[in-house]
Amino acid sequence: MYNQIIFYISVFLIILFSLLTIMFKNIFYSLLSAIVVFFVTGILFFLSGSEYNGIVQLAIYGFAIPIVLGISVMFVNTQQKDKTKDENKTTNFRYAVLLTSLVFIMGIYYLIITSLTINPNSINYTENSVISSFDNIEIFAKGIFNRYAYAFELLSVILTMIVAGLTIWKRRIQ
Amino acid sequence: MIDITLYHYLFVGLVLFVTGLTGSIICKNVIKVLICIEFILTGVNINFVAFATYCGSPSFDGYIMALFYIAIGAVEFALALYIFYLMYGYKKSDKIDNYGDL
Repeated sequence: MYNQIIFYISVFLIILFSLLTIMFKNIFYSLLSAIVVFFVTGILFFLSGSEYNGIVQLAIYGFAIPIVLGISVMFVNTQQKDKTKDENKTTNFRYAVLLTSLVFIMGIYYLIITSLTINPNSINYTENSVISSFDNIEIFAKGIFNRYAYAFELLSVILTMIVAGLTIWKRRIQ
Repeated sequence: MIDITLYHYLFVGLVLFVTGLTGSIICKNVIKVLICIEFILTGVNINFVAFATYCGSPSFDGYIMALFYIAIGAVEFALALYIFYLMYGYKKSDKIDNYGDL
């Protein structure tokens, strides 16, 4: 019961703030809205039973990325735009709430339609395969260090090469 | 109250994906476009986790794929911001139209 209430509130917040991210003209308000979306998505991962993904999402997208974004926003000169364009924030918020309500109604309609469909593969999509937290960590350990170990290593090598390439590019520009 | 099913999560993923796609098309600000691309990745992540949870796979590969996507998305985002920071010194603008000759 509590999970369902938290789920619906989280979904409402995700839809509302993702729309506000697009609608706000000021990049700082967009950034704050995006942080809310990323944060609430982490809560959704918790609800779906993947605690590890939820923690990673909260740590990276909830804290690390907003710091990087905040620093990058500081480089951008937003004061000139604020002087020239007078933003009507309340109108934006009303539009966003209206759109969110519309999306919500569409979602309920979609869920009613899908609840009436017959699943041909006889897989029960309504039952959550519940696992304990320890099993969750074990699954990640097996996945990362056994099956996808080479893929992770390859990924880290590629990303390191990209960072090194960018640093060299920066020096050449200077 | 209706039980939470796979379709609930798919709907959230769809909404985030469409919002991110729309925002990355209509937004003019470079940082905002990057945020919208992250929305797309987050929508995909929700689908991965939901399918892994509800489809009864014993290996839960969707969780691992979501972890891949979070790692790649974070690094890609940092790199894109770095490139933007480098180019902003020359362009002195955050409008995406000015970055056509990157």
